[in-house]
Amino acid sequence: MKNSTKRLLTVLFAVSCLAPLALAQAPAAAPAAAPAATAAVPPQPTPKPILDADLAGTPVPSADARAKGDPDGSLTGNASDVTVSDPKKGLTIGDLANQVGQNKIAVNFVWTLITGYLVMFMQLGFALLETGLARAKNANHTMMMNMGVYGIGMFAYWLIGFAIQMGGVGAVANLGGTAPLSAEFTATLFGKPFGLFGQHGLFLMHKGTYDVGVMVLFLFQMVFMDTGATIPTGAAVERWKFSAFIVTSFLFAAFTYPLFANWAWGGGWLANLGTNFGLGKGYCDFAGSGVVHAVGGLSALAIAMILGPRIGKFSREGRPQVILAHDIVLVITGCLILAFGWFGFNPGSTLGASGSGNLRIGSIAVNTMLASATGMISAMLYMWFMYKKPDASMTGNGFLAGLVAITAPSGFVNPVGAVIIGFVAGVLVCLSVAFVERVLQVDDPVGAVSVHGTCGIWGVISLGLFADGKSNYGGAWNGVNGSVTGLFYGDASQLVAQLVGVATLVGFVFTLSFIFAFVVDLLVGQRTSAKSELEGLDLPEMGALAYPEFELKS
Amino acid sequence: MILLGILLTLLGFVISVLSLGVTSSVGGRLAMVLVGLAVSLFGIMGVLNKAYLKNAIWKKG
Repeated sequence: MKNSTKRLLTVLFAVSCLAPLALAQAPAAAPAAAPAATAAVPPQPTPKPILDADLAGTPVPSADARAKGDPDGSLTGNASDVTVSDPKKGLTIGDLANQVGQNKIAVNFVWTLITGYLVMFMQLGFALLETGLARAKNANHTMMMNMGVYGIGMFAYWLIGFAIQMGGVGAVANLGGTAPLSAEFTATLFGKPFGLFGQHGLFLMHKGTYDVGVMVLFLFQMVFMDTGATIPTGAAVERWKFSAFIVTSFLFAAFTYPLFANWAWGGGWLANLGTNFGLGKGYCDFAGSGVVHAVGGLSALAIAMILGPRIGKFSREGRPQVILAHDIVLVITGCLILAFGWFGFNPGSTLGASGSGNLRIGSIAVNTMLASATGMISAMLYMWFMYKKPDASMTGNGFLAGLVAITAPSGFVNPVGAVIIGFVAGVLVCLSVAFVERVLQVDDPVGAVSVHGTCGIWGVISLGLFADGKSNYGGAWNGVNGSVTGLFYGDASQLVAQLVGVATLVGFVFTLSFIFAFVVDLLVGQRTSAKSELEGLDLPEMGALAYPEFELKS
Repeated sequence: MILLGILLTLLGFVISVLSLGVTSSVGGRLAMVLVGLAVSLFGIMGVLNKAYLKNAIWKKG
C-alpha cells in the first residue's frame, strides 16, 4: 500500500472515530418551553383493587377447543396455566402475584444460565487460540491444559473457592434471594468492617446452600473463574510441566481468584469502599476486567517469570527471536469464538433480564461489540504502520484487548465511551506485548499478560473515567445510592476506588500468585526438561502427538 | 532478591490500603495509591524479574 493511501486511510479513520465523539459531547438543544396549562386537571380516581371475585369470570379455552390444537398460538398459555394453591378457592390474586414473581425469577434464571453456557463455550476459544499460537509439537499438551483447567478448576471451586468468593454475598435479588450465602468474615480496619472472605457454601451443601438460586449463581461464577484460570496456560505454553499446571490451577481456583472476587463481587472490602470511605460507588467491575482478566493476566506474569523463556526465544545477547505460530486459522477461529462467548460474559453479568434496570442488557451487548471492533481496528492499523503488515495474531489480540477492556465498564458507559476504551486497548496491547518481550524479557507466547493483565487494568481504570451516570440497577450500586459516575462525568472519587482495586491486583494478587507458583516450583518443579521442550511436549508429557501423521520440524 | 521483590510488591499494596485511613481527601488518597502502585511495579519489574533474569536460560549458552 502506498504511503499516500495509508495517510488517507488514517485521516478517514480518525475522522470517523472523532465525529461521533464530538457529536456526543455537543450541548443538547434547549428543551422546548412547557405548554401553558389550558384547563384544570380533573382529580384521578383512586385505583380499584382487583379482588379474587374478579378472576372468577376469567375466560379460559375449553378442553374441546384445546383438543383441536393451537396452530396460531392464541390458546396456549392462559389463566389455566397459573398454579392454583387451593383448588377449592380457585384462582386468587395471591396465586397471580406468586406466578408473576416466579416468572421474573425464571426469566433471570434462564438468562443467567444461558449466558453462563456461552461463557463456558469460551474455553474452546481459548484452547484454539493458544494451540494455534503454539508450535505443532506442543498441540496436544496445549489442548489438554485448556480442557484440564476446566475440570480441575471447577472441582477446586466447588470444594472451597465458591464459598470463599460468594459465601457472604447476601441476597442476590435477581436470583430470588440466595439467602443462605450470608456469612462474610470481616476484620476491622480504620474503624470500618473489611470483608475478607465468605464462609457458607462449601460443596454447595454447607449451611443450606443446596438451593436453586445458589446453583445458578455457582454455575455462572464458576465459568468466570475458569476463564481466569485458563489465562496462565497461554503464557506458560510449550514449557509448563503438566503436573505443576494441575497444582497451580487448583490453587488459583481455590484461593487466588476467589479472594479477589470476594473483595470485588462477594461483599468484600473493595466493594464497600463507597459505603465505608465515600469513594464513589466502591470498586466497580461489572463483568470482570479486573476480577477475571487482570487476576488471570497477573498470575500468568508470575508463572511466566518463574518458568523463564522457551529455549530459542532470546539470543545470547537477549534479543527476542520470532517463534512462529503453527496455525493462524485456529488462532482467528479462537478469537471469534471468544468474541461470541463475550455476549454471555458481559450482558450475563446483570444476573437477570427482568427487573432492577436489567433491560440495559442491550446497551451492554452493544458496548461489548463496539469495543471489540475498535480494539481490532486500532491494533491492526498500529501493526500495519509500524511493521508494514496487518499482523493476524496481533489483530486478534487487539480484538480480544477491546473485549477485555470493556468488560468492567460495559454496564456503565455509553457507546462513545466503549469505542474509545476499545480503541485505546488495541494500541495498548501492541505496546505492552513489545514491552513485556523486549524490556522485561518475559516470554509470553500468546500475549496473555498484555491482553488480559494490561488491558484488564486499563478496563478497570477506564470505568473510573468514562462511567456516564446513566445506568440504574435498582437505584444503587454496592449499597451506595445513585449511578456509577466516572471522572469525566464529575466523580473523581470513583477513579480513586478503581485505582485502589488496581493496586490490590498488582500488589496483592500478583504476590499471592507468585508465592503459590514459587512453592509449586520448589515442590514439583514448574518447568519441563530441556530435552522434552526441544522434542515438543506432546510425547514426553502427554504420550501422544496431536498430529501423528505429519512430520514435525523441531 | 526474590524476597525483597515480594516484600516491595506487597508494600505497594499496603501503602494503597493505608491511604484509606490516613486521609479523607480524594487528592491525598489518589497520590498515595499512585505511590503504592509505583512501588509494587518496581518490586515486580525492577527487582523480582531482574532476579530471575540473572539466571535466564539464554544466558547459560
